[in-house]
Amino acid sequence: MAICTGCSLLCEDIVASFENGSLKHAKNLCRKGHGHFQAAFTERTRPMIDGEQVTIDKAVERAAEILKSAKSPLLYGWSNCTEEAQSEGIALAEKLGATAEATIACTTSFCEGILMERVLSGKIETCTLDDVRNYADTSIFWGSDPSSSHPRHLSRFSYYPRGEKRQRSYEEERTCIAVDVRRSPTAQLCSNYYFRLPPGGDLPFMEAILAVLDGKIPKVADKKKMIELATVLKKTEWGAIFPGPGLIYSLQDKMELFEQLLARLNEITPFKVVPMVADCNARGFNELLFEKTGHASSVSFNGGSAAYGPEHSVLAAAKKCDAVLAIGSDPLSELPIGTARALAHQPIIAIDPRRSLTTDAAKVVIPSALIGLEAGGTAVRMDGVKIKFEPVMNSELLTDEQILARIMEAV
Amino acid sequence: MAEVEVVVVAVRDIFQDEAGRKSLFSEEYKSLSALIILDKQDMAGLAVKDGDKLLAKNDAGSIVVAARASKDDAKEAHPGLAFMCSSPWYNQLVSDDSCQGSVKATLAPTAEAITAISEIQARMKS
Amino acid sequence: MVSAMEIYMLLPKTNCKKCGVATCMAFAVGLLGRQKKVDECTPLIEEKKYEAKLKKLREVMAPIEKASETGLIIHPEKCFGCGNCVVACPVNVAAEPTRTAVGLGPEGEKVILRVEDGVVVVNNLKECKRFGPSGTLCNACTATCPSKAIEFV
Repeated sequence: MAICTGCSLLCEDIVASFENGSLKHAKNLCRKGHGHFQAAFTERTRPMIDGEQVTIDKAVERAAEILKSAKSPLLYGWSNCTEEAQSEGIALAEKLGATAEATIACTTSFCEGILMERVLSGKIETCTLDDVRNYADTSIFWGSDPSSSHPRHLSRFSYYPRGEKRQRSYEEERTCIAVDVRRSPTAQLCSNYYFRLPPGGDLPFMEAILAVLDGKIPKVADKKKMIELATVLKKTEWGAIFPGPGLIYSLQDKMELFEQLLARLNEITPFKVVPMVADCNARGFNELLFEKTGHASSVSFNGGSAAYGPEHSVLAAAKKCDAVLAIGSDPLSELPIGTARALAHQPIIAIDPRRSLTTDAAKVVIPSALIGLEAGGTAVRMDGVKIKFEPVMNSELLTDEQILARIMEAV
Repeated sequence: MAEVEVVVVAVRDIFQDEAGRKSLFSEEYKSLSALIILDKQDMAGLAVKDGDKLLAKNDAGSIVVAARASKDDAKEAHPGLAFMCSSPWYNQLVSDDSCQGSVKATLAPTAEAITAISEIQARMKS
Repeated sequence: MVSAMEIYMLLPKTNCKKCGVATCMAFAVGLLGRQKKVDECTPLIEEKKYEAKLKKLREVMAPIEKASETGLIIHPEKCFGCGNCVVACPVNVAAEPTRTAVGLGPEGEKVILRVEDGVVVVNNLKECKRFGPSGTLCNACTATCPSKAIEFV
């Protein structure tokens, strides 16, 4: 059995065989996971400095020199690294932070991090996906579309499988609700309980739910449908909410109303929240950094203390950094053009198994073993369950963890 | 020339995701990423049909993408609301301080070629 | 999927009864339900003037003729590989109560639906609830598909 690191569900029932440098046959991988496994054989990187191929030792040595001389390095990415590599990365940021201002940030610092921090601090109640499978009779996909982003979410946990208290499952016992700006593939499966909102419509929708739960008339066009929703919510024995980017962006400064809604729902019946983080170990980094600093997605280490806030965000750090370590993500693909351009003008060290916009623009490229396929370790599923795995392919490549340890020694 | 103002919402698509995992530099990934889904009314307003090219621009930047009519029926019409997959193309329209979930953009028909990934890379270095 | 009316438009529309049913429309319905075969419309096969219609009819009928005995057709190019159908199928659930029924990929050979190389594939179709004269109109696999990758004809 292999695990799939294609998304934060970390499916553990994958059977895959490889032959002559390609994926020969795979069972239980979804389309996305299948693409992820095939990617092991395309666009692989080589150690480079300034576009010239070099030895791995030279590349690591150069990376250490750049970081050592930087006054404000930014260490960005991390969501597709093992926990072991993430720990090494946080230690590296701390070490660099002794003599410089070192910012470490992960991909959730733009979106899910804000909600994950509330979950990790216990302000918002959460549960495991196994709990969802065993107990949930109502699941709400709010601004999330798992059929597209986490394809096996519904079949493994939230809608179709049987669980301890849910033997009659989707046929009779489970209701799924989709709240989204469009009729996504997930929303199509929720047929009767699809609520279409305009962009930014989440807050009035929360107010409308609070109103109907209190027997007031909601300020929405389709009052009948809102009353039906209130009936479903009130009848729920055990509910789960899966917020995705669509909701979380709206929460930036309106977290209170969401927490108020959760408190009201929990007066009626348990309702738990599992943020739909995308990358395979995004939550692992959030947990490690939170444990260390009390912040989940980005901090700056400076003279032995950790600072947090807008002035230490990735956006701010990108504007003032003088060196970038990119690992476990492709910031130049994923970040807004202005931020991407700012990063591209700094010396970038890209640790990545595969070619990306970031490796193309990097001063130093260090190839690493692919997580899950060539590198073993630990990752944390979106719901906080730790999953350990062994590599399933042979590889001579250094793991992220080994590369970071060598840089650590040299800085 | 006709112009239409839209809010572009970033969405996920499993086929675009799959293509990107195999290669960010492929034609397939470009064709699924440099693509904007529009309401039929907006398509008519711009006088474009499926596959026609549109220049999308705002204060953050601009890109040339292909237009495609939304399959939503009349009951779920969404004039003024457009969809694109998250990708380097979408990110050309995102300003640093805006909420990344959606952006405003002005669309107009164009004869220019669809923005290539190499062009996006060159812009970053400029 | 093609409709009976679309098939009818590709027939001679003469109601000649050579195929054994009263009207071309009835024959079209028969084709769609797979009780009839294109070759039973002898005028369409024999008369030159229907050549273009015949060609088109064979094209639209190809997926229907490919359908298995339960009428199940899979469009792998649309499939997400999400496994909703695998977990929802009552035969799969009964075959592997500790695996498929609880959301895991099947291990044994008794299941009908499984995901291989990123898309759903079919096995053991004779076990499908729709199979045979006493078949039921089970639609667990089509109703749970996010992309209309499975259909019954």
